[in-house]
Amino acid sequence: MARTFSRAIAFFAVLAILLAACSGTTSPGPAGSAATGAKAAYGGSVTFAMNSDISNMDPMLSGLFVDRHLMYAMYDSLVRVTPKGEIIPWLSALPTVSADGKSYTFKLRTDVKYHDGTTFDAASVKWNLDRYRLTKESLRLGELAPVDSVTVVDPSTVRVDLKAPSAPFLSVLVDRSGMMLSQKTVEAGGADFTRKAFNAGSGPFILTEAVKDDHYSFKKNPDWWGKAANGDKLPYLDTVIIKPITDGDVRLTNVRTGQVQATNAVTGKDVPTVKADSSLVYQEIAGIGYNSLVPNRAPGFTFNEKRYIQAVNLAMDRAELLAKGPAQGVGAVAYGSYAPSHFAYDASFKPFEKPDVAAAKKLVADVGKGPLTFELLVSSGDAATLQFAQLLQSQLAKADITMNIKTLLFNEIVTLQQQHKHPGMTLIGWSGRIDPDGNTYDFNYTGRPNNDSAYSNKDVDALLDQTRTATDQAKRKDLFLKAQQIFVVDDPSRIFYSYNAAQLLTAKSIQGFQDFPDQLPRFETVWVQK
Amino acid sequence: MTTYILRRLLLMIPVALLVTVGIFIIIRIAPGDPVLTYAGEDRDPATIAAVRAELGLDQPLPVQYAAWLSRAVQGDLGRSFQTKQRVVEAITERIPVTLELGLAAIFISVTLALLIGTLSAIKRNSFVDLLTTSITLAGVSFPNFYLGLLLILLFAYVIPGNLLPPGGWTPLSTDVGDNLRRLILPAITVATASLAVNLRQVRSSLLDVFGQDYVRTARAKGLRERAVVTRHALKNALIPVVTIIGIQIGAIIEGAIITETIFFIPGIGRLAVQAIPSQDYPIVQGVVLVSALSFMLSTLAVDVLYAFLDPRISFGGSEA
Amino acid sequence: MSGATLPAVLPLGRQDRVSSIRYFLRKNPRMLVGVLLLAMLVFVAAFAPFIAPYDPVKVNIPDQLLPPSFDHLLGTDDLGRDVFSRVLWGSRVSLSVGIISVSIGFIVGVSVGLLAGYLGGMFDLLAMRVIDALLAFPALVLAIAITAALGPQIQNAMIAIGIVAIPGYARLTRGQVLSVRSRDFIVAARTVGVPPLRIVLRHIFPNIANPLVVQATLATAFAILAEAALSFLGLGPQPPYPSWGQDINYSQRYLANMKWWMSAGPGIAIFIAVFTFNFLGDALRDALDPRLRRSG
Repeated sequence: MARTFSRAIAFFAVLAILLAACSGTTSPGPAGSAATGAKAAYGGSVTFAMNSDISNMDPMLSGLFVDRHLMYAMYDSLVRVTPKGEIIPWLSALPTVSADGKSYTFKLRTDVKYHDGTTFDAASVKWNLDRYRLTKESLRLGELAPVDSVTVVDPSTVRVDLKAPSAPFLSVLVDRSGMMLSQKTVEAGGADFTRKAFNAGSGPFILTEAVKDDHYSFKKNPDWWGKAANGDKLPYLDTVIIKPITDGDVRLTNVRTGQVQATNAVTGKDVPTVKADSSLVYQEIAGIGYNSLVPNRAPGFTFNEKRYIQAVNLAMDRAELLAKGPAQGVGAVAYGSYAPSHFAYDASFKPFEKPDVAAAKKLVADVGKGPLTFELLVSSGDAATLQFAQLLQSQLAKADITMNIKTLLFNEIVTLQQQHKHPGMTLIGWSGRIDPDGNTYDFNYTGRPNNDSAYSNKDVDALLDQTRTATDQAKRKDLFLKAQQIFVVDDPSRIFYSYNAAQLLTAKSIQGFQDFPDQLPRFETVWVQK
Repeated sequence: MTTYILRRLLLMIPVALLVTVGIFIIIRIAPGDPVLTYAGEDRDPATIAAVRAELGLDQPLPVQYAAWLSRAVQGDLGRSFQTKQRVVEAITERIPVTLELGLAAIFISVTLALLIGTLSAIKRNSFVDLLTTSITLAGVSFPNFYLGLLLILLFAYVIPGNLLPPGGWTPLSTDVGDNLRRLILPAITVATASLAVNLRQVRSSLLDVFGQDYVRTARAKGLRERAVVTRHALKNALIPVVTIIGIQIGAIIEGAIITETIFFIPGIGRLAVQAIPSQDYPIVQGVVLVSALSFMLSTLAVDVLYAFLDPRISFGGSEA
Repeated sequence: MSGATLPAVLPLGRQDRVSSIRYFLRKNPRMLVGVLLLAMLVFVAAFAPFIAPYDPVKVNIPDQLLPPSFDHLLGTDDLGRDVFSRVLWGSRVSLSVGIISVSIGFIVGVSVGLLAGYLGGMFDLLAMRVIDALLAFPALVLAIAITAALGPQIQNAMIAIGIVAIPGYARLTRGQVLSVRSRDFIVAARTVGVPPLRIVLRHIFPNIANPLVVQATLATAFAILAEAALSFLGLGPQPPYPSWGQDINYSQRYLANMKWWMSAGPGIAIFIAVFTFNFLGDALRDALDPRLRRSG
């Protein structure tokens, strides 16, 4: 009861922001009258636990998923996304796109100031985008590669011209590539900015303290532009504290003892406990990321032979891996790379639904080189992954496939797979991107940097190119699914086995906290019940 | 004496150089490429090349070392690959944490060692003595990471009411009470291993002193046993104990590594344990240098103190 | 010619040797206990495949996370494997790491110490600086770094622990050599022209062997602890092979769920093994060094 209630409020609150952001450009929806049931309270504080420490606060240099926890509190981006994956206005209205799909015109909000007092305007957008796409060591080069030029049309209008039409372009502006920072503060920060990004953003909260490995404190931005559906000025909270707590048990204990009021990382084994705890509210929705086994398909390696990959696909029992492995049922079984919240998801796509040991044996026999033996590289010291690997090992053994586990340091595994020198398979998760392109292109297209399996299939390349130029969503979905049939079943690039879950565990007093498929917390709508 | 100290300090220079060269080579032998990890999820080849150049990793090894050394002697240990934080800053902001943990552990361990050790030396071959010997052996034999886990299990989970937290840290400056609550379990964990060593030292040096002439004289003079122990024996027996404390202070970082890892304490030991596998070269080099220096300096301090306390020792001879 | 005038180890007949060992053990009851403990450890390690009731690596999902019972003395882990069987098998890793890494440390350390002590001069100065540098390294950091550099495998952990142990032997040996070197019989041997290597091996080494044996026994205890710590940090043997430290790391995440048995087995096993060598080392020290026995 309480759960549905708080969810409803959260949903409408977000809708309200959407409306506020549109500022009259969209006709008002039913949300306007919805939030009358509950009166949100101002003030209070929430401490949120994430599962590891951040590496970097500069969106340009950030390479870790965890970094984004802080960024969503302190920075605004040009556009944002709803829990359903729809892109909504934020610092800008939704852009108008030229007929050839190459020119995007952004109409910006005019009531936004950065925490350092400087004004957000078209020049600022240009400076940020150019910084991300032209700085040599920027990690955003890949995402912004389609951009040809950024032009200030007038103080509140920016035009971005692309080299070629790119369907996923807008979706990258939701996240780090679209986050807007104050030029003054970034430049003053110099090399220390990556850890002391004070006052650089325009977001609902202002970073006040950063203690590595311990906590990050934020205070309310009283001048934030966002409003809730009922007209409430957001954010509600006075302070937000984000703490990195690496150990799952310590994290959970902190939540249960009330030192922490929310977290997005609950270990599978603890989920039954928190569901049974009446002082806590546990939400779980399907995420956008996936977990996969990455074979090395380069010539000369075992898995250059695609039938071996198909055999492993057939021999493994995904349901058991999910239910009895470290996830303990959290998440969902996956067969391909599109998660349920992607528009390209096809619920009927279930190849290898049940393990088929006989078929797996037959495929190996067909190759005619004797029994299949390969090595799985596992990051050393990672108990949960080790549990998964050993369970998989026992499943494959039933089909006479010998999978030897080899533990290496994480860096070595990354290096080996980047150079396509890993002997058998590795285990890789992907945090996911909201556009299906972000879960597909870089991993399956010939020669792309994240194509760790050294996969190359002309048909897949052609299909993926078309998904980028096509603008119609139904058309794109069709193309994505055609590609998926090839890179999952006919000529596999990877073995996809599970989707992440987006978890959110909160104390009962915490209201308005909504679970997003990207697993990142949004604090602006959160309030504390007195 | 001054000459001796100067000579020792001079000898430290080549040793410190050897240490830095050693760790420089060892961490670079490791097969992974740190740049790939720090480039994160989006690994564009151009980006990777730019990051590599920025970190100076495209230079030949001797050039890299020379560059590091020339900056190190000026007090600049570079920046962390991962967080871009200055290494000097990363270390100095963790020193108070590790130092607090280490000193608390030494305090616990020495206090207990003095109490139990003295008792067992006085009542030699008694039940107390037997108990002491057992504690000593058990203490050195118990894997301290398992002890840490057991303490967490007991105080954070088994005993209801969340008596003590299972890990994490609050700085002393933020909240003294919470800081102490979080200090207890890790300090006991670290103290257990050194308790055994200290206990053995107190007991055997007391027994040694009891056999000496001046104690027998004191006893013959009719001094009460308590006076003999506290005024004469204990004072002399303390000399080796002082040295052991000194050595333990020098080895605080070492002793805290595993414990900080188990209890998620943001100290220097944990910094090192995280930095080695992730190949954050500047951090590893910085931590090793600092910890080697602190070890050598405290060893020297102990030797000097020893000479000060025990006039029988002079610095003429060879340092065997 | 020299052998007759200098004290060397006397050759003993087989019968004599057995009875003298018996005599030694009878005179030192603690030695007897230590030797029995050691024998038990070696027996478990040698015959683990025959004593262990289950296959230590066999995954058996229906038996996941069972508490201790008659079927599974120490319960099962999250893959349904018998913890008791894994503990028995784990002794193999610990003992071999103990023996091999101590051998590495012993051979290198004693050689350096003997040469430095006997030759003196420039070699001594240089060698001892290297040893000082090794000693100045935080031992665990050095071991982790070496294992990480060579790859997280058990052989490499052995090498790392061996290297960390070198300074202890080197300094002990050098000190002993320095004190023995000036004794009459060595001086005599040198004046009559006995080659240096022969002096070192035949006359000096036997005279400093006792403290080294004690040191080696205690170092084995340290090595087992160090291996457990490295394995605990994920730098031990390749899974699914059982290793105590690794198994504790593997199952520690269940402690908060009160599933204590998975880590209790290996934890106690490490304790017993380390205790055995420490106990034996102490007993040896007392037995071999009468001066120490008197004072403590």
